[in-house]
Amino acid sequence: MTEAPLDVLDLFRIDAALSHGDLWLRYFELGGMSTGLQLEAYLYGALRPTSHDHDIIAHALNERFVELGGNHPVPYAGDEITPGA
Amino acid sequence: MTADRALSDFSVAASFSDGQVILALEGEVDVLSAPEFGAFFETMIDRGHRSVVLDLARLRFMDASGLAVIAQGADRLEVTGGTLTIRTPMALIGRMLDITGFARLVQLEPDESKYGQLGLEQTADGDSTHSYGATGTTGMTKGTTKFTSIHSDDDLIDGALRMAVSLAGVAVGGADGVSVSLRRRGILTTVAATDQTISTMDANQYQTGEGPCVDASTKGRWFHAESLENETRWPAFTPRARALGIHAILSTPLLVEEHPVGALNIYSLVPSAFSVQDQKLAAAFAAQASSILDDASANLSDDALSIRFQGALRAREVIAQAQGILMERDGISEQDAYGALRRFSLGNGRPLSERAANIVASTRRGPTDPDD
Repeated sequence: MTEAPLDVLDLFRIDAALSHGDLWLRYFELGGMSTGLQLEAYLYGALRPTSHDHDIIAHALNERFVELGGNHPVPYAGDEITPGA
Repeated sequence: MTADRALSDFSVAASFSDGQVILALEGEVDVLSAPEFGAFFETMIDRGHRSVVLDLARLRFMDASGLAVIAQGADRLEVTGGTLTIRTPMALIGRMLDITGFARLVQLEPDESKYGQLGLEQTADGDSTHSYGATGTTGMTKGTTKFTSIHSDDDLIDGALRMAVSLAGVAVGGADGVSVSLRRRGILTTVAATDQTISTMDANQYQTGEGPCVDASTKGRWFHAESLENETRWPAFTPRARALGIHAILSTPLLVEEHPVGALNIYSLVPSAFSVQDQKLAAAFAAQASSILDDASANLSDDALSIRFQGALRAREVIAQAQGILMERDGISEQDAYGALRRFSLGNGRPLSERAANIVASTRRGPTDPDD
């Protein structure tokens, strides 16, 4: 698998029916340090989050999917296999 | 055995197995194709099929008219003791069912495998099953709980409200038309209505500054005009309503943070159209629409926001404490401690904050280690 498209996190957010504000609050609760604006930039792929930040965002989304009765579809940075890396 | 019907951009194929009829929908269900879908669905019920599966795997789009067909079918099957099962991998449709309260109201049984094997590219290929038991629409009076958040985008809110209006039109017995009025930037406007006459009815109330919709939206309690023949409360508005053939109106307030922000309005062409059951259903749908607005959190007061923020701050502190405990106990890095919390949360389907709280609590109780 190549690296995920950068804006895919925002598609997960839409799928999870969370507003940017809701997701930021969940991200903050889980220990995220970035501002709401930075978070939006990560979601849209305008800024690249650190792998730790990426994982917090992924986990915030996954917890939401579990709440909705699903599993956890958002991959973590450690799960991504980048060919040649 | 298979029967096919092709439409412009919609088709439905029926197959039969194990006493079930499976209707596989393909294309788009909208206001044009919904009647065909409805007719086909009805035919299957008329033929005595009691166990119906709607397979939406190849459906690209469904709007409120499609949901209304499903609601009617669920209702008929309920009467006959049948069951309706919906298979949909489409997040959009699942979300529509969720936002409108429909999934919750008629017993949602999510398939645990829904997201299990999905990678990034495959979100549209999973398979989840929403099973609709025999509660059908009569369960709707129970559906007043908040359960979902939606994007604080006016278009999406309006879309969700339009679906609520459409479902209310189907479920409330005496309804000939339904609308939702909302105060936006201080002005009452109709954001969803089943037809033009209903929009005009609302507009007449805004223009005259009176009527059950205006009163419900400002006073925050429900108003029932049982028969406009004898109505004296709204002298300027009532003649206009009667001129359009309306004889009964039921307006139920929409409340956000307990403040009235609009109303769900149900109109009937006949007097005394609304039974007590209809009034309860209207209250349930108004609560549903209120929770859509509430969750949109577009107008969250500073107080409510700071309460949520304080909760998040507390949870965050507990997570940091738990990380510290694991680092000390296991001699691992901050990142690894976080990873351990995360893996436990994923593996057990429990919130990370709950795991962190348990770890912190276990150190207060004594030296017994929480298992990892």
